[in-house]
Amino acid sequence: MPDPDLIALYLALLIPMLVWRVAPMLVLKGRKLPQRVEAALGLIPSAAFAALVANDVLQPAYWTASLLKGLAPIAAALIVVPIAKKSGSLVLSALVGVCAYAALSYCLSLAG
Amino acid sequence: MVTRKDIQDALKAALPIMLGYIVIGTPCGVMENEIGIGPAFAFIISCTLYSGAGQFMMSPMVLAGTPLASIALSIGLVSSRQMLYAAAFSPFFTHVRKRLTVLFAATVTDESFGVNMDRFLAAEPWDERRATLVNLFSMLSWGTANAIGSALGAVIAFPTDILSFGMTSIFVCLLVGQLASAASGVVCAVALIAVGALKLAGLGGVAIFAGAVAGIIAGLIFEEVRGHAGS
Repeated sequence: MPDPDLIALYLALLIPMLVWRVAPMLVLKGRKLPQRVEAALGLIPSAAFAALVANDVLQPAYWTASLLKGLAPIAAALIVVPIAKKSGSLVLSALVGVCAYAALSYCLSLAG
Repeated sequence: MVTRKDIQDALKAALPIMLGYIVIGTPCGVMENEIGIGPAFAFIISCTLYSGAGQFMMSPMVLAGTPLASIALSIGLVSSRQMLYAAAFSPFFTHVRKRLTVLFAATVTDESFGVNMDRFLAAEPWDERRATLVNLFSMLSWGTANAIGSALGAVIAFPTDILSFGMTSIFVCLLVGQLASAASGVVCAVALIAVGALKLAGLGGVAIFAGAVAGIIAGLIFEEVRGHAGS
């Protein structure tokens, strides 16, 4: 049986998570939305993917460690771009990304 | 009624996420083990809370003695981007039963949002059944990996930052597919800059949500200005 404090923490995290995930869909689903809102919804995927990529590749903690360490995830992401553009394959992109980032990190560890 | 074809299509779509979750979920389970979360509870948390960022944040905060309210608030802020995903999916669920809508919405993650949205926007038909199956397959792989990690404990060391770059690469691939118009270019550029600025300002917890909102607003303004210029 898990610690009661862990169960309390779990519930304190679960309830807002379910609200974030479910409430907007139930509220918006099936409604005739104003044109501006529909346009905004159409822009969410581009904005979300860009924000997720930026959140992963821009690491201020790495930049303070060294300039090259900060650049490594950006460089690895840039290596993925042509592969993603040409193949459109998520698996191939993931493989290339991991290999590129591992190789760059290894080179940095040798240099540093 | 879910058909064999639905399951095959969903498995094919979910496979990159499932592989990534196995790789990233195992070290997450190892971290959960450090705060006393066993395999069964790790599986339950992973299938209900189902938040990679949240679960990775939880263990170090607990170990650091952070108060429960602060942990809940921090993870709640990080998870606020889920609102955007739910809003974006809502037009595709207009005629879907409420129960299935809730099941789908409760099991969306960054990765399954990407894969499902990519397919909903594609020319080939994609529906709520296959989308929900993608979510459930991904969820089960995440839950299983967390349970395995919790059972293993700290037996194996994982280069988590390198392995998790697989997910970043998946987002890059999905982003590249979105760059089809000038408006999406503006949206992406502003979202990228806003996230970078927010993280530099020490507001990493809300960076994804606020950065995405900034991108959407910039895109709307761009379309408005272009519309006026055109007329």
